[in-house]
Amino acid sequence: MDGSKNIVVNGGAEDGPGGSTVPVNSVKGWQIAEGAPALLTYGADSGYPTHEDPGPPRRGSRFFGGGNSPRTTLFQDITLPRTGRTGRGPVDAGKVRYEVAAHLGGYAGQEDGARLSVEFRDGAGTPLALSVLGPVTAAERNARTGLVPRTAEAAVPPGSRSARVLLVLTRSGGGTSNDGYADAVSLTLHHTKGRPSWAGSPGKTGDKPTGGQA
Amino acid sequence: MKLNRRDLLRAAGAVGALNLVWPLSAGLSPAQAKEAAQELGATYDPAPFTLGIASGDPLPTSVVLWTRLAPEPFAGEQDLPETVEVDWVVAEDRALRRVVARGSVAASATLAHSVHVPVGGLRPGRHYWYAFTALGRRSRTGRTKTAPLRTDRVRFANANCQAFHDGYYAPLRGIAREELDFVVHLGDYIYEHGPVGGEAVRDHNSPEIFTLADYRKRYALYKGDPSLRDAHAAHPWYLTWDDHEVVNDYSGTGGGAPFMQRRAAAYQAFYENQPHRDDGSSALPDPVIHRRRDWGGLLDLTILDLRSYRSAQNLPDGTILGAPQKRWLKDAVDRAPDAWHCWVNSIMLSQLRGRPGGGYMFTDQWDGFVNERKEVLGHVHKAGLEDLVVITGDWHSCFVDDVVPEFGEAGSPVIGTEFTAHSISSAPYDEAWNAANGPLMGKANPQLQYFEGGHRGYAVYDVTPERWSTHMRVIASPTDPESPVRTLTTFHVDRGTAGAYEDKDTAGSRAHYRRD
Repeated sequence: MDGSKNIVVNGGAEDGPGGSTVPVNSVKGWQIAEGAPALLTYGADSGYPTHEDPGPPRRGSRFFGGGNSPRTTLFQDITLPRTGRTGRGPVDAGKVRYEVAAHLGGYAGQEDGARLSVEFRDGAGTPLALSVLGPVTAAERNARTGLVPRTAEAAVPPGSRSARVLLVLTRSGGGTSNDGYADAVSLTLHHTKGRPSWAGSPGKTGDKPTGGQA
Repeated sequence: MKLNRRDLLRAAGAVGALNLVWPLSAGLSPAQAKEAAQELGATYDPAPFTLGIASGDPLPTSVVLWTRLAPEPFAGEQDLPETVEVDWVVAEDRALRRVVARGSVAASATLAHSVHVPVGGLRPGRHYWYAFTALGRRSRTGRTKTAPLRTDRVRFANANCQAFHDGYYAPLRGIAREELDFVVHLGDYIYEHGPVGGEAVRDHNSPEIFTLADYRKRYALYKGDPSLRDAHAAHPWYLTWDDHEVVNDYSGTGGGAPFMQRRAAAYQAFYENQPHRDDGSSALPDPVIHRRRDWGGLLDLTILDLRSYRSAQNLPDGTILGAPQKRWLKDAVDRAPDAWHCWVNSIMLSQLRGRPGGGYMFTDQWDGFVNERKEVLGHVHKAGLEDLVVITGDWHSCFVDDVVPEFGEAGSPVIGTEFTAHSISSAPYDEAWNAANGPLMGKANPQLQYFEGGHRGYAVYDVTPERWSTHMRVIASPTDPESPVRTLTTFHVDRGTAGAYEDKDTAGSRAHYRRD
């Protein structure tokens, strides 16, 4: 695997059904856990973000919106590569880092929001690392409709075998439209050449059991 | 700057109150803040395991082990490598010689260097001892227990409401010393507000908390009470939460982005500081708390989350459970085994009017969700569920209530009992209030059997196939960290007979209300 390839599928909401304010029942690459998202087209509907509003520099044509549900959540489980420069060997040696990024936003002065998180898990599904982006407040958007960049990076903990990317879009107060917006969701893995940021025992890093009998 | 108790007390004297010392630490470095906390009575385990160790969510063959590396408990970020290897060991003996499981796990700075180890392959109904090693240091040794497959006795305690400033954790010292199978925490493990001032025995050391770093430091402050760490090390805990793990009286849904930021920070800090088993069905920072556990075929434990999914209060279609959890609970009722059914319920289920003809005292509790309460308890009644006991926190006082499908309706049948427990430390109403309002609450709420306020304590539940016994333990003084424990009174419920009765040996004990 290319160490800088985005391993999130359809992080830009470009693929699959959608394109309007009408919520969809499925999103390519994602599982819908709650609510129903709308995959909106920039500038297609009055009041929603346009190509001129703050957003990703290369934003494609569509973005995620919360639809009409008070809380819409989507996730995807990503199996980390078995081999290569960001595979299990380098991960268990503390030589792989991740970067999670997204543009997150909302509508004008409203506090509807979008939150993106990534949780790295061991082979049994236990969380080993977590990064949370957003939700972006209206003040952080200067009360302007649009999406602003958020990013985090950290070491992939030894023993990590999968990542769950979770996108949560929330409506504040009443109304119908859930105007939490997200676009350009990405997760990339990077091999580090320097000293690992890992205080572990040499020779033990190849096998990291987190449960089971001796 | 070197701080010592004398300097702190002198500073307190200069401004007139001991409690005002604590806010002084808000501007200190992490090391100085720790030192200040220690000078005023907090203690910590040796670094890096300052916050102790814990186990939780016991299953027949598995238990979760927890610790968090925090050499400086009040640092927003620890001066540690980004990822630290933590070794763990589980043995059949206190000396850790008969090892049955061991392993290593990575502690990430992104999760405050906490580790959660779901150890599998254990034998049912057995005590085990465990410890961690990291950075060349060994933690204290903890004891835990797996759930049995079959048993004819279970003995457990509950804890709830442990406001740091309202007293020392002598009740948790009592829990640590009890011979128990497990502990259930009913919420309000921390409180979110700033220093309270007044005559507090100790106080919060930072303003109201909002960020992840804030919540981490607040957990570190609370875990500075050695009795809390001892109680964690002595028994496995099941956990739910109430409002103060985030903010007073919150609803988990419908908030704007600033609140959702805060909620995520609080939930993440909860996970980082508790022996919570994450089953992978959701993802952090939204841990799934509600769950159902079996203890030896004798106790069917249903742990509820009454915060994450609730709507606003006092709505005709309001919900305290959220639709999915309500379906799950009703399904559990439909498929309940022949056992004692215990609902772990953070906030009062029973109706509570303040006086005859008066309104509900607090609609943050189930009284603010009356239609859903009627629906759920009506389902219990219709399904014919027997032997229902609800254990509740939040109220800082002790209540015994008959549970009925329709509160306030004459002739509504008794279908269970709710025991509401004293707080670990959070302040109860004063004697004058209790004496005046106990009888009024009794007159206003026909299902109320018993009320006693003014204490700190906990409850021990001793359960056999024939009888459920609730022993209400109280301490003498919240200002004494080693205050002795006594049993205030004991109530029993006989298997197959709905309704509680007081033990004849304690029926004459003082009570602010007791139904004749």
